[in-house]
Amino acid sequence: MTRIRRLSAVLVAAGVLGVAAPAGASALSTITISGATASYPLVSLLAQKYVKVHPHQVKFKIAQGGAQIGVNDVAAGRVTIGDVSRDPLEADPHGLVFYPVAKYAICVVTNKANTLATLTSSQLISIFTGKTRSWSAVPGASASGTIDLISRTSVAGVLTNFQTLLLEGKKVSSIAAEEPSEGLLRQQVENDPNSIGFLSNYQSDKGGVNAVGLGGVACNKASAVSGQYPGVARFYEVTKGKATGAASGFIAWILHSRAARKIINTQWIPVT
Amino acid sequence: MLKRLRDPWPDHRAELTLGAVSLLVGGVVVAMVAFVGVHAWPTFSHNGLSWLGSGGTLETQIANMQATGVKAPASAYHLRAWPLVYGTLLSTVAAVVLALGIAVLSSIFIVELAPARLRRIAVPVIRLLASVPSVIYGLIGVLVLVPFVGNDLITASQKASVQNVVELTGAGLIVTVAILTVMITPIMVALICEALVSVPNSWREGAIALGVNPVRAILAVTLRAARPAIVAATVLATARALGEAIMISMVSGSRSFTPKPIDGLLFLFEPLRTLASAIVDYHEGVGAPALGSTLYAWALVLLFSAFALSLAGYLIKLPLRRYQVRG
Repeated sequence: MTRIRRLSAVLVAAGVLGVAAPAGASALSTITISGATASYPLVSLLAQKYVKVHPHQVKFKIAQGGAQIGVNDVAAGRVTIGDVSRDPLEADPHGLVFYPVAKYAICVVTNKANTLATLTSSQLISIFTGKTRSWSAVPGASASGTIDLISRTSVAGVLTNFQTLLLEGKKVSSIAAEEPSEGLLRQQVENDPNSIGFLSNYQSDKGGVNAVGLGGVACNKASAVSGQYPGVARFYEVTKGKATGAASGFIAWILHSRAARKIINTQWIPVT
Repeated sequence: MLKRLRDPWPDHRAELTLGAVSLLVGGVVVAMVAFVGVHAWPTFSHNGLSWLGSGGTLETQIANMQATGVKAPASAYHLRAWPLVYGTLLSTVAAVVLALGIAVLSSIFIVELAPARLRRIAVPVIRLLASVPSVIYGLIGVLVLVPFVGNDLITASQKASVQNVVELTGAGLIVTVAILTVMITPIMVALICEALVSVPNSWREGAIALGVNPVRAILAVTLRAARPAIVAATVLATARALGEAIMISMVSGSRSFTPKPIDGLLFLFEPLRTLASAIVDYHEGVGAPALGSTLYAWALVLLFSAFALSLAGYLIKLPLRRYQVRG
């Protein structure tokens, strides 16, 4: 599904942004971007706006596929900018510069039928490390029976962040089912009344799942902005070496312009 | 120059051109195997033959590969790929056996017994089914079958009985095999039907004239003559099942658990992972050298299974050639 979406996204992005650029303007510089599926909705909105306010200067080609693809592509020089949904890792190729552009919350989600409102940090860790295996041991949960853990494949940026920010660095139990994309994880949680998983706030705000609070703080944009919610991670634009030329212009515009801030404010959180 | 191309080609020139094209295809295959082999070598050389063995949790081993990143130490290559090989064998063999039975019986019905009007509808519909992209089957699986199995077939007590070993979410062996079977049956039916149709009518009539009843004639003459085509259809269907990635990634539960027949009914619900679906699940990690090499190793195993399959098909068909019809 990711791949289908990725393909159509490439086509759509190429179509939309290609139209925005005037035909025959061969002096346009092109910014190519690939990377995280989680940040794709944000980056494509920003790119469309950027083309509108800077006509005849730049055009975009945006593909998605995953945080790790963004890192690989930009390190290999295949794209100008890589989109990454996790913090830099020691294992990343050297010479990459990470520019944080926005923040997002990682929400713990359960099936809609399970009205669990909040978990403490230790309950959350106990559930995701596989120590608590039954909903009857979780106060406030309206589901009964076995807990179905739904996680992401180990290459997912959101999983990396979830483990560092909310599980105190502990690993999700290897008993969990691994979904290859946010969309499939969401689908599995919607299907299964006993399930629990985690999504970026953009996905969980769409409804269809029950977002669980942490330590009494609900997971939504407001609590993430105020800093009360602990699971807030960053989206990065990544370049090989310091950003130059058109890419540096675009990144500076995201960080400093009012228009970009307005777009980020719709669903995400500005960095500063 | 153009005129020379438009004129009828002399034999030797046509021969050279066509020969070059077919050599090129062979060259591409060799180059591909070599490329995959070179990239897969590090993981094989670090693990030796125990690469195929079992031990530890595959997901943990993969996460290690991912974590070590660009400068992978030798320990990062540690992998025991048996759960994937087992998952591939199990899902493929189960689906092919089921599909073979269904395909042979329905082909006999369509060719020998069905009224002509029904046959005229059935054959094109089956051809159409054979070309449905697998991701569509995957979607149906995720949206319909997985929730049905998870919520209606698996009971809470079954779930609870294995809750510390494995999760039964509905995605698992039975859904995978069911959809795989539906995917590969139409190909087999289409091929076997063609072979049955091309069995000369005089052979059937001869058998009936000798006094056997029609069902016996079908089994002893028509089906016998079509055996090479049945083998060929099975080989093609097995190849499709082996290489199926997207659909299995969506409905198999994506966990390298090895379903155990000893678990009784639960066996059907246990999750699995195949070589091809694991490549889909982890393709993002190709940049980490250890994981990248591992991905290529899985691909190499799949490539060799495909070759072995063609070879086996050829060898099985050899003794059947005496009374064959071309399918």
